[in-house]
Amino acid sequence: MYPTRRRLTQSLVALGVSLLALHAAHADQLDDIRKKGELVVGVLGTDEPNSFIDAKTREIIGYEVDLARAIAAKLGVKLQIKQLAVAARIPELQQGHVDLLAASLTHNKEREAVIDFSLTTFVTGQKVLVKADSPIQNLAALSGKKVVTIKGGTQEPNIRKAVPNVDVVTFDTGPQAFQALQQGKGVAFVNDEVSLLDQHAKLGAAKAGYRILDQNISVEPLAIGIRKGEKRLKEQVDGVLRDLEKTGDADKLFVKWYGPDTPLKFPKRTFKIDSDKVEG
Amino acid sequence: MPTLSFAPLLHGDYFTWLLTGLRLSLLLTGLTLLTALPLAVGLALMRLSPRRPLRVVGEAYVEAVRCVPLLVHMLFWYFGMPELLPAGLKERLYAGNIEVISAWAALTLYTAAYMSEDIRSGVRAVPAEQMHAAMALGFSPRAAMRLVVLPQALRITLPPLLSQTLNLWKNTSVATVIGAAELMYQAQRVESATFRGFETFALVTVAYLSVSLVLTGLAQWAQHRVSPARGGR
Repeated sequence: MYPTRRRLTQSLVALGVSLLALHAAHADQLDDIRKKGELVVGVLGTDEPNSFIDAKTREIIGYEVDLARAIAAKLGVKLQIKQLAVAARIPELQQGHVDLLAASLTHNKEREAVIDFSLTTFVTGQKVLVKADSPIQNLAALSGKKVVTIKGGTQEPNIRKAVPNVDVVTFDTGPQAFQALQQGKGVAFVNDEVSLLDQHAKLGAAKAGYRILDQNISVEPLAIGIRKGEKRLKEQVDGVLRDLEKTGDADKLFVKWYGPDTPLKFPKRTFKIDSDKVEG
Repeated sequence: MPTLSFAPLLHGDYFTWLLTGLRLSLLLTGLTLLTALPLAVGLALMRLSPRRPLRVVGEAYVEAVRCVPLLVHMLFWYFGMPELLPAGLKERLYAGNIEVISAWAALTLYTAAYMSEDIRSGVRAVPAEQMHAAMALGFSPRAAMRLVVLPQALRITLPPLLSQTLNLWKNTSVATVIGAAELMYQAQRVESATFRGFETFALVTVAYLSVSLVLTGLAQWAQHRVSPARGGR
């Protein structure tokens, strides 16, 4: 092939590729979801009761999975759950490997720059778990000490903000970080309050060996993550969440996964699904 | 697609994080080389030993270590093995930087298994006549091995050993799973804080690549200058 012709072919290919990219960028995600008949939702699968593996059926279930199911039902498409690592959540959403994130995702100002959020679906605080016989009674006592937590979430920046001089070691999953605390490789484990309560409850008889500090290191509004600028998809998601709130189903879901009959034993819901604003 | 920008990563805290990570990755590589090489020589000699029990132990070690992924070794040496230590020692160890120590242990044992195979090939590549001649001159088998065969074998082995060092350098990235704050760990930290995953990993790729290229260059140089193949021609 002559060099000029080769160059022409190359430019044509490049043009084709960029047109394809342009087309993909312009197509609305909601249309795409309807066309493929499938809503892919990224979850953690390691964070009970938001999303976790059911010991009997080996399937991923949970509060956030039920929310995702309601959204898929409203869109009239099949729900496909995809398990993600904490640190991979936002990149996977940005690159379009998942349509939505229902992955214990904190809604904060920093993240608003890169993705959009649905109405707040849950409010939790982040707290600190220590061994019962530990001399640590408050956050200030953690200064200069080694604490363990999860990679890629808001836990690490929050504890560093709350205790400037703290030494933080991070792991891929909550259970790994908790194991490091159990083995004494750190003096405290930082996580969302709900996850801490859940992991604490799972200890059974060994529960007495641990306690949770009273102070919150932060308040974390959790929401469903949506790719930036997908307004129509966000409208649909928010619509489903508003309906759940209106019909009382949101409350039922809360009681099902967090209520008095669950290991977490939350007496009642202290938030409503009605806002997508967070404090900076 | 968000626009690319390296500026936020190149100044301030984020760049310092990456540099500390790079420093620990290099340190892990250096420390591991220091411990893995003698262990590898020992293992190779065990496998070449005329005594069967020694050969069996050496072979069992190499096979057992090579057949298990490095990730599993890491998790075992962090979450598993240290728990078996006596309480006093355990506490002292955990108060220090147990993440780095565990990563060092796992990398040493893993790398030594591979290096020992290279060294064994090197020893076998030295003609048997060298050993016979040395013994005919009155060297004991042990002295012949130490003074005549091994020095030649290590020269032959240098290029593959450098190639193993290259693997070791890349393998240090697995230590991120046990919380050792090496380059990969810091990169993930920067990515979570800045949401600039592409730029962060581009920088990290450049860092891994530069060190790797230096090692590759050394291996080529060694091939030309030190390897006896050239001298023989």
